[in-house]
Amino acid sequence: MFELVLQGFWESLYMTLISTVAAYLIGLPLGLILVATDADGVSPCKPVHTSLGIFINILRSIPFLLLMITVRPITKFTMGTTIGSPATIVPLVIAAAPFIARLVESSLKEVDRGVVEAAQSMGATPREIMLKVLFPEAKPSLLVGSAIAVTTILGYSASAGIVGGGGLGAIAINYGYYRNQTEYMLPMVAILVLMVQVFQEMGMRAVRIVDKRQ
Amino acid sequence: MAETIISLRGIKKHFSTKKGTVEALKGIDLDIKKGEIFGIIGLSGAGKSTLVRCINLLERPEEGQVVVNGTDLMKLSNEGLRQNRRSIGMIFQQFHLLMQRTALENVCFPLEIAKVPQAEARKRAEELLALVGLSDRLESYPSQLSGGQKQRVAIARALATSPQVLLCDEATSALDPNTTKEVLNLLKDINRNLGITVVIITHEMRVIQEICNRVAVLDGGVIAEVDTVEKVFRAPKSKMGRQLVFHESDENREALQGPIENSYRITFEGDMTNSPILGNMMLECQAAANILAANTRMIEGKVYGQMIIQLPEDAAKREQMLQYLKNMGLTVEEVAYV
Ligand SMILES: Nc1ncnc2c1ncn2[C@@H]1O[C@H](COP(=O)(O)OP(=O)(O)OP(=O)(O)O)[C@@H](O)[C@H]1O
Ligand SMILES: [Mg+2]
Repeated sequence: MFELVLQGFWESLYMTLISTVAAYLIGLPLGLILVATDADGVSPCKPVHTSLGIFINILRSIPFLLLMITVRPITKFTMGTTIGSPATIVPLVIAAAPFIARLVESSLKEVDRGVVEAAQSMGATPREIMLKVLFPEAKPSLLVGSAIAVTTILGYSASAGIVGGGGLGAIAINYGYYRNQTEYMLPMVAILVLMVQVFQEMGMRAVRIVDKRQ
Repeated sequence: MAETIISLRGIKKHFSTKKGTVEALKGIDLDIKKGEIFGIIGLSGAGKSTLVRCINLLERPEEGQVVVNGTDLMKLSNEGLRQNRRSIGMIFQQFHLLMQRTALENVCFPLEIAKVPQAEARKRAEELLALVGLSDRLESYPSQLSGGQKQRVAIARALATSPQVLLCDEATSALDPNTTKEVLNLLKDINRNLGITVVIITHEMRVIQEICNRVAVLDGGVIAEVDTVEKVFRAPKSKMGRQLVFHESDENREALQGPIENSYRITFEGDMTNSPILGNMMLECQAAANILAANTRMIEGKVYGQMIIQLPEDAAKREQMLQYLKNMGLTVEEVAYV
């Protein structure tokens, strides 16, 4: 049992972390593009903004389990299999990236418009404004967002256990539900709860260290 | 006469909102001379911010010409405009500092943009922060600084790229009177020592009084008058000018029923306000004058003031009194309202 728990923990952890990093690699630029192309952004472009927005909304409106089943061909193609923890990373990234894009968008939008104008008045290019003003100024808020993202992805990864994913969620479902061994269920859930607490607390501590506004 | 550094011609700017179109600027012509401190005053919504933002094209007018330092900014490419903006510094009411950067890093920011090597930028930033009196706060974050200190950092930052012009949009409106004075003195020093032309937007007369050479009165998107501060304060020609200088309120005017007759504006200069001229006049002419309004103020150490008086209906007495005032060297003009 202990070994099983440990294995589940590691699987959940790496699934979540790798998916989060990969989803940020996609979601962060998408968020930047959303903000830059908005009507009051640094390089407004309505067609890009609108179509990207619709695309993101569509992806976000598909429930995770359905998405996981829908993207099976992609998972199979990239990972060679559709079951187990590594295979779960693909749908996790696809589900989380648009969510992260929205988180990033809202963080960047919190930056005072006046600061952007000040940078413009100094002759900063749109690119410099994104990289040297919006991004660093939004860092604390982006970190808050990343704590939300990582805990949400952990939650997705756990529910992935129903359709062949790995990790704590899979163990809880396979043993606790299908075999009706509830003694397996509780520890898994407890560890998931603990992981969420730890991720959230780490995120908030990082914010406190990074934010120079107080 | 000094050469013109900022020239605005026929500037028009409107904003389309859901509630309709706002004509913020309705054709502005303005020349600002090299090395002067130029004030733009007006009530809230007069278009002051819009006007000053047109000078560096943060706001692009639909019509008109913006020439700064001999360059027609509207004709420039994006890159050309960015280059030119480095010679036009700007500070704001809310400072707009980068909150996640130290004072020093804030001042380095425009230098980074201008691709100045890091060591050189740091050195220049330190010099500028020393200039604004913040040598001991280099590593402070904006959140650790007072409003006045933040504005000083903003000023140092605006000066980093050695601009010819410094635009100030309500730069002291968020500060208390003492801090306002300090910041204004700093701007005055910068103007005098570095020869930078300063354009100041404000709705506060005392700011104009304190440091400006010339002032434009903006009223509803048009310039009501432009003149030296002294002249505008002594004898504002426009309705808005009078309202701002003498705090004449519309209520006062409405309180007086119908047009007023036989009324004159007397303008005092220098120490004259202290002598009992009116009393003497009434004694000498053996007739009473009715004081409708009075207002005096200090400008550059001299007392200026105006008074509006109503003289008797009797034309002969009136002439006698007017003559008396003129003999005393006062400017007297007939007015139809207070
Ligand atoms: N971005 C905008 N969108 C719509 N209307 C605007 C915008 N900016 C300014 N206006 C309108 O243009 C007019 C002039 O505004 P402006 O900000 O230039 O006035 P101001 O003289 O600076 O006033 P204040 O002293 O309150 O700062 C106002 O009626 C204002 O509502
Ligand atoms: Mg304004």
